[in-house]
Amino acid sequence: MKLAVFLSDLRRTEDTYERLKAEKLGVILVENGIYHAVMKEGGKDSPVLNKAGASFYVLSEDLETRGFTSAQVNPKVKVVNYGDIVDLIMNDYEKTAWL
Amino acid sequence: MGVLTMGVFPSLVGSGTLDFSFKLAEAAMAKGHTVNLWLSGNAVMMAKKGQRAFKDYSHLEKKMMELIGKGMETTVCEACAEARGYHKEDTPPGMKRASMDWYLAKTFKSDRVLHIGGE
Amino acid sequence: MGALKLCFVVQRPPYKSENARLALTHSISSQTAEIHLDDGDTIVPTLIFVGDGVLNAVKNQQAMKHYGVTSTENHIKNGLLIDMPVWICKEDMQRLGLTEAQVITDAEEMGAELKMKFASFDEIQKEMEACPHLLFF
Repeated sequence: MKLAVFLSDLRRTEDTYERLKAEKLGVILVENGIYHAVMKEGGKDSPVLNKAGASFYVLSEDLETRGFTSAQVNPKVKVVNYGDIVDLIMNDYEKTAWL
Repeated sequence: MGVLTMGVFPSLVGSGTLDFSFKLAEAAMAKGHTVNLWLSGNAVMMAKKGQRAFKDYSHLEKKMMELIGKGMETTVCEACAEARGYHKEDTPPGMKRASMDWYLAKTFKSDRVLHIGGE
Repeated sequence: MGALKLCFVVQRPPYKSENARLALTHSISSQTAEIHLDDGDTIVPTLIFVGDGVLNAVKNQQAMKHYGVTSTENHIKNGLLIDMPVWICKEDMQRLGLTEAQVITDAEEMGAELKMKFASFDEIQKEMEACPHLLFF
């Protein structure tokens, strides 16, 4: 399946996320999920970004709302806006999962 | 162009997720997609007209009316609303009330479903 | 004319929030969705408990006694009664130290024939792949 997963929290549903598999997986970081794109807890990338084969996206409006800029985003993650998320949902992935 | 059905459960005040949902709906409609919105659980807070907009609280009534005016079919879970004391006469114009099966039926003819469960 | 499979995936424990209850009531409402659909079209739900959501299936819940509200146990049994497949993740039960003896396995006392399915996450993954839309609670 082509699955777009939305993460909107810093911590919570990791156990489901870690086990989900998809032939094409997009991880869209929104609301408090954006911290996975910018924080380096213990000097390390968020474990969320270790998902093999996934593409990562972070919502620019939610980054800026929380005091971060695109320049601080982990290079694994692409910064997107609401219109881009619509395109990801409608064109690039077949189903979504808001964890 | 496609049909996006969103089921949204978090509250208006106390969560930022409804703000996200309305912005996404607006962006989808701007691209020509049809958007159906199901509001259930605490999201039925939207089913009370005349909410006052304070800058310390999320306020979406105006935005919702704008999107309903542009064709977003917006339906609120009737039981969830009644349980919170939001009655038919409180419902903003253009918003529908229905039972949960409305939402499931909408998914049938949707290209995509974004289900945003509660906290 | 056709059937649409929907997966209702519950990840969180019951009662503190309305989340799990809404998963149950929404999935059960699939029984009446036909009134909004064309003739012959149906919604075919699977209710799945994963992660901490498996705690919804612990039996002997006494929510009615203490809070006057329907228990998730009762809703799960109603789901089985209407022949809705209800799955629970075996690995998550094990992780939390839950045995089969502690959770709902059937609703025989209500006359339900269908039983709870104890599934591996791999099986759950396959079921999610078979559903065009996923509803995570």
